[in-house]
Order: sequence, then structure tokens, then C-alpha cells
Amino acid sequence: MTGTALLAAAAGNLLPAVTRAPFVVSAQTTAVPAQITAVEGSLLAFVVLTALATALARDVLAAVIVFGAYSLGMAALYTFYRAPDVALTEAAISAGVTTVLLLLTLAKTTRIEHDVAFESVNLPAVGAVGLLFGGLLLTMGDIPAVGSPDAPVWSNPDVTQWYLAESYAQTGVENTVMAVLAAFRGFDTFGEAVVVFAGGIAALIVLHREVFA
Amino acid sequence: MSDVRPEDETARDAAPNETSVDADAGAVDEDEDADDVPPHRARPRSGRYDSDRRQGTPYTESQVIMPTVKIVAPFAFTYGLFITFHGAGSPGGGFQGGAIMAAVVFMIAFAFGIEATRDWLANTVVVALAVGGALAFAGIGLIPVARGGAFLQYDLLPIPVKYGLESVEVFGIAAIVTGVLMGLFFLLARGFASEGTGFGEGGDDESDDDATDETETASNDADGVGGDLGPSGSDRTPAADGGER
Repeated sequence: MTGTALLAAAAGNLLPAVTRAPFVVSAQTTAVPAQITAVEGSLLAFVVLTALATALARDVLAAVIVFGAYSLGMAALYTFYRAPDVALTEAAISAGVTTVLLLLTLAKTTRIEHDVAFESVNLPAVGAVGLLFGGLLLTMGDIPAVGSPDAPVWSNPDVTQWYLAESYAQTGVENTVMAVLAAFRGFDTFGEAVVVFAGGIAALIVLHREVFA
Repeated sequence: MSDVRPEDETARDAAPNETSVDADAGAVDEDEDADDVPPHRARPRSGRYDSDRRQGTPYTESQVIMPTVKIVAPFAFTYGLFITFHGAGSPGGGFQGGAIMAAVVFMIAFAFGIEATRDWLANTVVVALAVGGALAFAGIGLIPVARGGAFLQYDLLPIPVKYGLESVEVFGIAAIVTGVLMGLFFLLARGFASEGTGFGEGGDDESDDDATDETETASNDADGVGGDLGPSGSDRTPAADGGER
């Protein structure tokens, strides 16, 4: 029941305004005609289904495997939306490394055998999630369409367009994402790299080890 | 609370006289086949599989996985190098490329055994990648500061700005990510150091525990760890050990 509701809601994001009209309070929607392709639709359905299966799977091993599939679907979706840097990160870190580390952790711990495949659904939890989800859906009408040239995040002349125009001249790097990451916000990236390093040290401490390998 | 941890691999490859000692009572010994199962172990009738029993053979040679990895690994590693080094001109960068290169090591470990891969890839490599990456990033950032500029002000580097960014990605971020991810993998594969003490429960009971801990650490240090990870096991007293943990 929740699956169909969630699916319908996710599809309503991209379907014509008729579908999401009941959710829209402020009626200033710029009803963009739906241009959802078959690839996009099947990817979205795949991601939503695997996310639900991850949440509902009773067996932890099954949940980990389905979560890897979810990450792969997200990576494909990011590629579809022309965010290849994010897609690469999602595929390498989330689908690859995280799945392997979770499987490894699972192999070190106790696994409980179940007779049923899925968790029993907790109705109050579903109600709470549904309320939150409905509240989020109310904001959908004001979000620009995917890839819209009028979206503020794209058309902003002071931020996005400035970096797109200036990053090559100032850094000599064609990939604007890398120019922003390594140069314009290089100090933040340094902090992130140190956080990764500190994560490794923290794992050593937690596991009472003094050598990695 | 019980601080006896499942010592899956440590029990296998450690000395046979090395048993876990309960810090409080010291009563739970030889829990491998005992009837009174310690709390962290699953009883057979509860439908749970103990990790020792479930993965009785931790590594089996697979005639499918091994050739596949042999064929795929060079290409995947080259792809990781490409993503790392070509991040300036195409999607990617040090983070993604480093993760792919670490994933190649995971692949090799799954095909040829984690312990064999651990022996092949010395701890020195992992530590040198992680620590060297952090130091390289900080060093590249601090060179402009030494020349009177700001942190990571690339135009004060003696190389073009583009190569400054590239060196941060390659020598800094990629090295850190590769080293830490490989380290996490090997750490999780080895698991909790059950021969140590519990969390913050220091005491005199575990003095002989620390003896075995030190010998194991010393043997690991023989691989060439050096002083990379701070105080080594040999100059730690049991009291400081227990208090610190």
C-alpha cells in the first residue's frame, strides 16, 4: 500500500500538473508539460522500489544487496541528469565501497535467519512518514522543472554563471566541478580530506588496532 | 556487560594459547565449543548462525571469480588512474579515482583471499598513502603561505595553476581516499581486537592479555610500520594501556 502511494507520489513529481494538483496549495504553478522518458521513468521506479525493499527487507544481507542496487540506480539517474561527477562518486563510494564494507561487517557478525522476506509494516510509522512526505509534496509546485533554464540555481549570474565563465580563466581547468572543489573552495576540500583521514584513525581506535593491514 | 568479543580471525591465526579473558570475572575461557554460550554468541536453537560456524571456510578459490578479477583488475585500475589524473579535463577527480583504485584492491582480496592480499599489500603502503596524502595536501596548501599568500593560493606555487590543482587531487585527495578505504577494508576484515581490554575497563586482570597484544603488535611492526602510528606496542605499559582504552 505504501509502495504504490510512494510510487504515485514520486511519479506525480514529474507527471502533468493534473496529477499533483491536489497537493499544490499555492496555485502559481507554471505547468511544464511532462517530458518523462521511458528510461527516466524506469530508473525512477527502480530507485523507489529498491529503496522500499531496502527499508522493508527483513534479512540484513538482502537489505545490503538491494541497497547496492539502489545506489547503482541512483548513479544511473545522476548520469541521466548530466551530473557525471556525482554519478561517479555514487557508483564508486556508495554502490561499490559501502556495499563491500557492509558485507564485510555482516560476515563478522551474527546473522539471523528469517522465515518471512519482509518486515511487518508499522502503521503509525507509515502515518508519520506519510505526513512528512505529504508536507514535502506541498512544496513541489514551487520547485523548477528538471533542467529548466529559468531555475535559479542555473540562471543566477553571480554564482553559477560566474563560476562557469571564470573557472577556466582563473584555474586553467576544464572541469568546473574540480575547479570549484580544488581551488575556489579548496580549504573546505582540505577539511573534507582530513575528515576522511580522521575516519581511518577513528576506525583504528574503535577496533583497538594499531596497524591497518 | 560482556567484553568478550568474537575473535574470528585472530583466534585462527594467533597462537593457540591465546584465549580471551573476561576482564571482570576471568571465567569465560575456551568459549569455542563450550556449552554455556557467552552472550555474544548465538545459541544454535535460536535460529541464528554464529559467524565462526557460518563462515567456517573464510576463503574458497573460485574458478569463476579468480580469472574474472585477473582480467578486470588491470582495466579497473587503469580506469581509476585515468579518473584521478584526468579529473581536470573530464568528470572525476582524486576522490572518485581513489575510490576506484581502492575497489580494485577489494576485488583482488575477494578473489584471492583477504589475508593473502593483506600480506601482499604491506601496512606501510596503506599508512604511507593516507598520511602522505594528508601531508601532501597540507604542504601544497602551505607553500603559498610561506611565500606570503593565502592557504592554497595556487598562483604562488612554482608550477602553473592547473598543475597545482592536479597535484592536490592526485597526491592529496586520491592518496588519502585510497589509503583510508583500503585501511578500513583490512580493519573490518580483521575485526575487533578481542585480546585487548573492554571499553575503558582497565584493570590488572588483563596483564597477560597485554603481553600477547604486544607480541602480536611487535610482529606486525616487523613489517616495517615504524613509528607511523604513534606509540608502538613495545613501550606501552599495561596500566597506561588500560587507562587509555
